[in-house]
Amino acid sequence: MKSMAKHENYKELIWVLAKTDLKLRYHGSVLGYLWAILKPLMMFAVLNFVFSSLFNPGGANGKIYSLQLFVSLVMFNFFSEGTMAGMLSLLSKAQLVTKIYVPRWTIILASTVNSAMVFLLNLIIVVFFFAIKGFLPSAQAILTFFLFSIATYTVILSFSFLTAPLYVKFRDLSMIWEVLLTVLFYATPVFYSLEMLPPNVQKLLLLNPIAFIIHFNKKSLISDQFALPWQYATFSTIVIIGFIVSLMAYKKFISEVAEKI
Amino acid sequence: MEKEIAISVKNISKTFRIPHERVDSIRIAALNCFHKNSYEEFRALNDVSFEVKKGEFFGIIGRNGSGKSTLLKVLAGIYRVDSGKVKINGLVSPFLELGIGFNPELSGRDNIYLNATVLGLTKKQIDAKFDSIVRFSELERFIDQKLKNYSSGMGVRLAFSVSIHANREILLMDEVLAVGDSNFQAKCLAEFHKYKEMGRTVVLVTHDIATVQRYCDRAMLLRNGKIEKIGKAEEVGNEYIYQNMSDEEKRMIAENEENLKSEEEKSKKMKGKELELEKKRIEAERKKQEEEKKNKVAEITEVEFLDKDGKAKNVFETGENISIRVRFKQYKKVPVLNFGIAIFNQENAYILGVSTITDKINTAKYIENKFYQINYPKIPLKTNYYFIKAGIFGENEALVYDFMEKSETFQIFSKNKNHGIVDLNYYWN
Repeated sequence: MKSMAKHENYKELIWVLAKTDLKLRYHGSVLGYLWAILKPLMMFAVLNFVFSSLFNPGGANGKIYSLQLFVSLVMFNFFSEGTMAGMLSLLSKAQLVTKIYVPRWTIILASTVNSAMVFLLNLIIVVFFFAIKGFLPSAQAILTFFLFSIATYTVILSFSFLTAPLYVKFRDLSMIWEVLLTVLFYATPVFYSLEMLPPNVQKLLLLNPIAFIIHFNKKSLISDQFALPWQYATFSTIVIIGFIVSLMAYKKFISEVAEKI
Repeated sequence: MEKEIAISVKNISKTFRIPHERVDSIRIAALNCFHKNSYEEFRALNDVSFEVKKGEFFGIIGRNGSGKSTLLKVLAGIYRVDSGKVKINGLVSPFLELGIGFNPELSGRDNIYLNATVLGLTKKQIDAKFDSIVRFSELERFIDQKLKNYSSGMGVRLAFSVSIHANREILLMDEVLAVGDSNFQAKCLAEFHKYKEMGRTVVLVTHDIATVQRYCDRAMLLRNGKIEKIGKAEEVGNEYIYQNMSDEEKRMIAENEENLKSEEEKSKKMKGKELELEKKRIEAERKKQEEEKKNKVAEITEVEFLDKDGKAKNVFETGENISIRVRFKQYKKVPVLNFGIAIFNQENAYILGVSTITDKINTAKYIENKFYQINYPKIPLKTNYYFIKAGIFGENEALVYDFMEKSETFQIFSKNKNHGIVDLNYYWN
């Protein structure tokens, strides 16, 4: 049965839901928004101190190291917050699922939009950082960064559409994902350089789209080096297949979601 | 002709699976993957078909668990059905709950935008209607305060105001009439009348018969997921009253049986020492009773409620003939025995007390038959539970031989929609 209940205001719905989330989280104040930026900033301060001053891996390249670290942290933060919010979205807005019909994808999408907005806020700090250090990446590198951001968002969406309906049934998914996020953080070249690992391990890690994005982000922004075409091809294939699979899973599981909550 | 139909439902069925053990984590699912989890099936809707015409006020009534809310959720598109077809002609605004998405941390203004967007309005439409929404809710002064500072009544008013401004062709409502103060209720009802005049379709789910009979053109009675009756609201409402009466009757009988059973089981379960003790206790009680009986003149043993055919039952309708029969045992001869009965309602209002003393009745017949009976033709009492007190007296009511405190109950249902406790005979001049 196709539901005849129609909603023509998808865009507004998504926007209002996202805006509400943002308002609730940061209480609509400027000081509130500072909290959004604070998390990656704190992580940066700690990691930068440990690896730049204590172990000094960058040696003379301390400046470059801290730039790389900060960009990577912001990107990874986007990924972890976005996936978490997306996974919890349907259950946290249970009323919108069980008491009215709104297309369920709008709910999932809205909660990821929120993370995207926090990411954009963080980008302001990134730009600021680059300016302070007097570092201007090439135009091609900035374009790459832009495309990588979209790719990250695609991965977040894929993950959310796959897990949001499942989380309604399996409530321990969030705990499992939290643990996995920690593992992923160490398996992603955020605070270390991929080249420090053996070549085989490098290849393995690069299969993870987030590791790929963060590694080549660093490379392109700082050293103006880019991935090879075949690497891009593999990466895109993985991202696109993931997206298609998650949409299929979403279609399969979403119809039962109102009864399972 | 086809265009005249707003909602068409054909042979829909919906079954819920209720697992014996709820699997809500991967851990449990992994543990369970070797043996199939057993579940029970609950048929919430069973082959339901009906049509609602455009501009009709359609009521769905039924007891809890009859499937009425499930049906409404199917119409709203929240549940999918297992089989059958639902065709809806026009835009739907569901009123399953008021204030969906309302958040206490946001201001009234923000909540209006949030709720209205969820209900399907665009920002432009909300901007245009905003003042009207606020005016209708009577919350002009509080609109920029956080919702958590509102009283619950204010919250409901705001929610209702937004909902009626959503203004779709078809409204689905789940008992939202039961909220707000009477002033606000009157306003809401006026609003529904407006809908009716504008030719909107309204589907109302409730278990309040009066609402259905007052507002709906047609209604449908659901029972265990099946349509029991569909037709004029008046008739369906009455059918529902009868259904309730017979259900209540069954429940009362079942309750009595249950009590007896549990007593029996209790005595069966006891063993050894306990049994001895229990036996002793019963024996002592019997002795005590016998002792009392020696002193007692008479004892009330049973109270029965009879309908006009002399059939015992506990649930009646306003205007029925009720007889109350009290059986008693007489242990000692005394010169005079008098009898009385008093009726109270659940709120403890003393409805009527009669006795053979005040009515100057010769009691010889009663003493011989070992029971007395009072008939109340066309009882004018309204829907309520009623209690009986019965007494056996000597020459005057101060000399009490036996007295039964409020224990026996009967129940009355009324089809009339007027209010109060007594159905006085009246006509409008």
